[in-house]
Amino acid sequence: MVIRVQKEDVDIGALITGAKKHGTGAVVVFDGIVRDDDITEMELEAYEDVAVAEMEKIAAEATRLHNLLHVDIIHRIGRLSIGENILIIVVSAGHRPEAYAGSRYIIEEIKKSVPIWKKELTKDGGRWVPGEHGHGAGKPRK
Amino acid sequence: MSVKVRFFARFRELLGTDIVTEPKAGTSLAALVSGIAQKNKEGYDAIFDEQGSFREFVILMRNGKRVETADAGKTIVADGDEIAVFPPVAGG
Repeated sequence: MVIRVQKEDVDIGALITGAKKHGTGAVVVFDGIVRDDDITEMELEAYEDVAVAEMEKIAAEATRLHNLLHVDIIHRIGRLSIGENILIIVVSAGHRPEAYAGSRYIIEEIKKSVPIWKKELTKDGGRWVPGEHGHGAGKPRK
Repeated sequence: MSVKVRFFARFRELLGTDIVTEPKAGTSLAALVSGIAQKNKEGYDAIFDEQGSFREFVILMRNGKRVETADAGKTIVADGDEIAVFPPVAGG
């Protein structure tokens, strides 16, 4: 299991290979990408220690709920160009329903609670991307 | 007593981050953040409303654990604490 916040890109192929644990019948990869929303670049910032701890809890909970065999979560920070990877989630499970559900669970929980912020940089300056979950965000699970 | 205050995202742009302070014994989390934020009106107004209360969306952590803004006035900071102040998260 690899859970990291980092500036560098990641070799998704190597993660897929590593996810094929004994009993694997499905690997699901989520790759969140910098979209061209009339921006020049995206700047990402994290409260790193808390973000990693929170993603570790999410991975553990996803594993428990969806019988996952393997989870990797790599969230990038720093300045990223259009088309670059932002967030890579690789999960494996015995069957596709668990793999899809586990992957979906992880991305939705990250959006709720992991302290990471995105700023869209434009020709005129920049704008912070508003959080989707308001005041409830950032609440550490027990 | 030494306490570190970390602002993130828009709050960081307005107020800086990794601010090491030496509050008096008995200082509340709310008073600590308010005192630092007052150095920049725009930063203060981003975090506090007209009554001096934390805005509804502001998130506080003490040593990586969430503190409800409603409890910040009675939460007393201690030596070595790390306080984080940030807007709603937007990762993924």
